Amino acid sequence: MSIRVNPGFIKELTKYGAREWNACFHCGNCTAVCSLTERGILFPRKEIRAIQMGLTEKLASSPEPWLCYYCGDCSENCPRDANPGEIMMSLRRYLTSIYDWTGMAARLYKSYAAHLWFMIFLFLAVIAAFVVFSRIPDSPEVKLNTFAPVHIISLLDHILLIFLGSFLITNIINMYVKIIIKDKTVKIPVWLYFKEAWNAIFQFATQWNITKCQRNNWYWFGHWFLFTGYILMFVMVIFFLDWFQTEEIHPFYHPQRILGYYVTAGFLFATIYFMIGRYRKKKEIFKYSHHSDWIFVVLLFLLAFTGIFIHIFRVNGMALPTYYAYVLHLAVEVPMVVTFVAFSKWSHLAYRPLAIYFAHLKKSARALQEKNKIEFVTQ
Amino acid sequence: MEESRIGIYVCWCGTNIAKMVDVETVAKEIEKMENVVIARDYKYMCSDPGQDLIINDIKEHNLNRIVVAACSPRIHELTFKNALKNAGLNPYLFEMANIREQVSWVHTDREEATKKAMDLVRAAVVRVNFHEPLDKLSVDVDPATLIIGGGIAGMSATLMIANAGKKVFLIEKNKELGGNLVNIDLTFPHMDSVQQLLQPKIQKIKDHPNIELFLETEIKEIVGYVGNFETKITTYEGKEKELKFGNIIVATGLKLFDPSKIANYGYAKLPNVVTSLEFEKMLLSGIIHKENGNEPKNVAIIHCVGSRNEEYHGYCSRTCCMTALKYANQVRSALPDSNIFDIYADMRAFGKGYEEFYTATSKRDIMFLMFDQKNDLPIIRKAGAKDKCDMIIEMNEKLSGESIEVPADLVILMTAMEAYDNAKDIAHTVGISMCGNDFYIEKHPKLDPVATTTDGVYIVGSCQGPKDITDSISQAWAASARILAAISTGRVDVEVTTAKVNEDVCCGCQTCIMVCPYSAISFDKEKNVSIVNEILCKGCGTCGSACPTGAIRCRHFTDKQILSQIEGLMMTSVQKLEIIEEA
Repeated sequence: MSIRVNPGFIKELTKYGAREWNACFHCGNCTAVCSLTERGILFPRKEIRAIQMGLTEKLASSPEPWLCYYCGDCSENCPRDANPGEIMMSLRRYLTSIYDWTGMAARLYKSYAAHLWFMIFLFLAVIAAFVVFSRIPDSPEVKLNTFAPVHIISLLDHILLIFLGSFLITNIINMYVKIIIKDKTVKIPVWLYFKEAWNAIFQFATQWNITKCQRNNWYWFGHWFLFTGYILMFVMVIFFLDWFQTEEIHPFYHPQRILGYYVTAGFLFATIYFMIGRYRKKKEIFKYSHHSDWIFVVLLFLLAFTGIFIHIFRVNGMALPTYYAYVLHLAVEVPMVVTFVAFSKWSHLAYRPLAIYFAHLKKSARALQEKNKIEFVTQ
Repeated sequence: MEESRIGIYVCWCGTNIAKMVDVETVAKEIEKMENVVIARDYKYMCSDPGQDLIINDIKEHNLNRIVVAACSPRIHELTFKNALKNAGLNPYLFEMANIREQVSWVHTDREEATKKAMDLVRAAVVRVNFHEPLDKLSVDVDPATLIIGGGIAGMSATLMIANAGKKVFLIEKNKELGGNLVNIDLTFPHMDSVQQLLQPKIQKIKDHPNIELFLETEIKEIVGYVGNFETKITTYEGKEKELKFGNIIVATGLKLFDPSKIANYGYAKLPNVVTSLEFEKMLLSGIIHKENGNEPKNVAIIHCVGSRNEEYHGYCSRTCCMTALKYANQVRSALPDSNIFDIYADMRAFGKGYEEFYTATSKRDIMFLMFDQKNDLPIIRKAGAKDKCDMIIEMNEKLSGESIEVPADLVILMTAMEAYDNAKDIAHTVGISMCGNDFYIEKHPKLDPVATTTDGVYIVGSCQGPKDITDSISQAWAASARILAAISTGRVDVEVTTAKVNEDVCCGCQTCIMVCPYSAISFDKEKNVSIVNEILCKGCGTCGSACPTGAIRCRHFTDKQILSQIEGLMMTSVQKLEIIEEA
């Protein structure tokens, strides 16, 4: 079966940040120096070839772009300065957009203005909602649960979770269909799904592959600290909000406060590390910043920042500032969550471990097929 | 005959020889041989100190024969002969043993290699005993030059020699000067107008007082030798003319391969598959169009059409890669919205500015697709109704490993370049040789790239192999400089290792005349003997071996010399040499 080449595709990918794609003349240095490629899982040269030729179906079915943690070895060793690292990054943005059946991701990625206006709209909507529905309690003491009753916030959280979760899950199903079902060259036996699962879980929990790739382990630490902080926050907000958002001020060694500090520290450390990096542009990973990269780190930073203020005001019994900080905190969080979780950068939290899972499924299945073929021939 | 006093010099060639041959042992062993006065080994014999060693020994030890055991005589024989000359010794009293190409480079057993080296040196030593001093011969040079071919190479050479004040006869078989360039639009990589470069040159040639131009004329026969050639031509008006000249430049160029020989590409069957030259004409006309006059949406360029494929031509045609990039640029400029596909085998960007040209072109939104030019050529077929294009190119793309379809409305075939069908006739006329693919062969691929084995005949431009304008002009000027140097000297040396007929023994059978490849032997009817023209004779020895009466003696390759060399080769150790009587 011949595939028709598509010369127009590259114009599309350029909108996701791909640059210098045409400089690549396929020496293969990038694949050779990459510490994460292995037999059967090769990138980035093959993906760049598919981009140049506009082989969209092949790209849609390849999990490899997600396996890259962007250490930049490939870009540093590229004799033609084709920036394979950044091409892989733009490919992840593109893949996020094609997994997303709503078209929202494509819109947010392709247009800075669209992303910014959408967030400003959500930001103002949250503030407006508080203005309309909330009453500031008369008490001079901090009565956060009167201002924003925990059961209502929790209910809204769950609605948001179901809303965004259904998008993310359908996108993941879409991803599975594109990578596994539509790729007719490989058939995966059911037992392999179990065999390969542990690796995906391990990678999800530790992101251990970054240590193979980033020579600077601070990057891994920042990334992992942020990740664990985020997971903790997610669990607390969704399942234990009434334990987390209390009127009572616990002593500082109380688990509620310790956990809160951990999350905040993770957010601050990672976002400041990333922001300084993106500003200085020294490391390959930070050299080229798409608008989604900047919006993402700035929002995460603001989330931590407003969280700190809520805490300080609350502990010090400053009622009004606490309420304002709380409103701002949610006004930052809602746009962050709505735009990023299912439609932009944050979705890699789900896509990357799944892609690692799928890539290894395909690799093992292909190895089995090869083995069977050889046995068939020798018989 | 005076007593031989032989000096032996064994070269290490750095480690080239020394790593495989025990050069010190060779020198020591050979020193024991009869008549050998001194034997030395040295790191680089060809270096100035190495040559000085020989010169000083000749003077100090009164040597009269020299043997150097080193590389191939093709590389340094002349160097050492000059050293002998500098020391006041006749350069023919010298022999070289090749212990590098024939020993150290081709063997792996050090002991055996050393033995073989000794055998070769012994053979040279025995032979050199019988060398005789020979004197150089020189002839007057006619200052006129004949140039065959009025393309860019021939024209450049013509102008250079004519501007130096010497007469040039320029022969062109077509009606107009300019050769293949007449149909070319732009140069690569600079994208200059070819016609702006070409037309002033043509005008200058037409106006030049030192140039006699013969259009629509072909050369049938040339007689003579370096410095004194002659030919008779018939001009297009039908006039016969006799020309005399001292040197010849062959600049006959090449032609395009016929791509209809490759069925895959459907050339001459599909209307919009064109050759590179046809596309150039389209560019010169100013409009890139399909046969029906419409603008093509998808333009594909296919490289290596007939090149680098043993079924057609094994060699690389050298200019097509950059020409293809030139087309890609021209199409992109003329049709900004078109899709351009460059279907190549390897992008060969070897020249000055070529790699930069490739890089710049690759940024102009051109899809480069790689195919296997040896075993897996693309196939062009008519497109179906749904395809939204006129043709489909089916190919296996090497860099992705995918079987793909490429849409095309216009396909440009980068056709190979090949020698003219009558290349052999011209070679025969001027007395030069051809390599396997009908291009003319140079005297030495590295050290003498424009001369031929026939003295006074030079090859320039693409008759020697596919070439771009720059290289053609470089060669033309190199040959011009060689010829002007010869004219300015007024005389040229000719090789004296020629055949000589012993008239007393010659029976007049004329066998030698039949076998001589250089037509150097004539027959003296009065004396009933053969006579060798020493200037035409190349000393190949064919006549000497064919002569039934042994009347022909080849200087420097006498029976005695050769038999003694064989004798020396067969000596197992140092033994007394039995003098071989000349047969």
